Amino acid sequence: MSDCRTMRELLLDAVRGRLAAPQSVAFTAHLQTCSDCRRLFEREQALEHALERRPRHALPDSLREKLAATLATAAAPPTAAAPAAAAAPAPPRRRLNRWAAMIVPGLAAALLAALLVRGFGGSRQPLIDEAINDHLRVLYAQHPIEIESGGIHQVKPWFAGKLDFAPVLEFSGDEEFPLEGGAIALFVDRKAATFVFKHRLHTASLFVFRSQDLSFPSHPDHAVGGRSAASAASRGFNVLLWRDHDLGYALVSDMDPAALARLAAKVTQTH
Amino acid sequence: MLNFGSASSKRFTSAPHLRDASVHWYAEGMLREPPRSEPPFAEQLLEQAGALYNFACYLCRNPAEAEDLVQDAFARALNAQNSFVLGSNLRAWLFRILRNTFLDGRRRQRKSPLTEESDGEAASSDDWLRGDFEIDRLRGLVARDIEAALSRLSEEGRTVILLDLEGFTETEIASVMDTAVGTVKSRLARARATLREELKEYAK
Repeated sequence: MSDCRTMRELLLDAVRGRLAAPQSVAFTAHLQTCSDCRRLFEREQALEHALERRPRHALPDSLREKLAATLATAAAPPTAAAPAAAAAPAPPRRRLNRWAAMIVPGLAAALLAALLVRGFGGSRQPLIDEAINDHLRVLYAQHPIEIESGGIHQVKPWFAGKLDFAPVLEFSGDEEFPLEGGAIALFVDRKAATFVFKHRLHTASLFVFRSQDLSFPSHPDHAVGGRSAASAASRGFNVLLWRDHDLGYALVSDMDPAALARLAAKVTQTH
Repeated sequence: MLNFGSASSKRFTSAPHLRDASVHWYAEGMLREPPRSEPPFAEQLLEQAGALYNFACYLCRNPAEAEDLVQDAFARALNAQNSFVLGSNLRAWLFRILRNTFLDGRRRQRKSPLTEESDGEAASSDDWLRGDFEIDRLRGLVARDIEAALSRLSEEGRTVILLDLEGFTETEIASVMDTAVGTVKSRLARARATLREELKEYAK
């Protein structure tokens, strides 16, 4: 059926949410009448969701510092050795260090390196960075929610069989912070239960994961329910991070810190 | 058009991947209106370091090698920054340099075949209609299953999938991979079909 052929060419763009409005309308209408195309669409969508769960390899701090130093060196006023290095780009090097070592980095370069590392290194707290990155994935994902919420008693059982722990959470959302739904995310190297809450136009992600082997901030500075949490602000997001027995919790949102603390208090209220 | 065959590698002793890069970029219609105040080039490079390292890990499948690759690619990008057209797509330009650096390295070491497409033929798109469990099975996969399945794709298959996931358009992927948009479409479809087959193994 030629209609199906046309629609199947749009399939991947539809999965990625890249169809222009008229095409999108036609595509959706077609799916409602054609079960074969609908199932193909669902299959591509499921693959896309699976791929979204692929591990992300975080840039090691040591590499970031090396790169920043290299860039700073390149940006510094040329020293006697620099023109020679620039004039002979010749065979690619195994290690840039050697290349960088040819130029004695000046004080200006070191300062710029320090600025770059500070500017882009984000917080020095890997779990905070991880929580924000995971929250961004929730925000950017075309379909961040794998299970729509009809209340916590629908969301929690959905995790059964998908995680090697049972997330402890009793708060099922309220008027101020309705629970949108849940999904499986990857937190550092392990699976996390993700609960997505709304607060007016803000979205908050709560990641619940096994805390074993993760180094939590050593100085919790925030009381959340009966727990001590570490709070951080980075890249415009506020993060609260705490531990309860062998589970870790990371709550991330761009809502103001007071509202986030209210949500955290509700989340921790019964455990 | 750029060519990475062995003949051209011999002819261009340095940075063959950057020859006529600006012409190429114009030709692909990828120039964008330059923003009024862009951060310095070095800062823009560093902003992409995380994404480049992640991509490098998938290409090399070895963190130490990935670190070397990112450093080499940064060195190339710095050497070639004059050929980068301000306001054009820096991200695609960097991914292209990184991948070409990777391919050059493999070619030198004569590691694993690079251009052979080993992803096989895509299964007929209706085959799956016979089985209804695929979608549920995909939902149960964990991250390491997905990484393992990705690592079993050919380099081209893996690259096209990862660039697509990075949010590049097909035109951008074609520029990164130095190929035609139609080829990107067919490679992507084939790689996804192969990946589904691979994932079936993990989802049982």
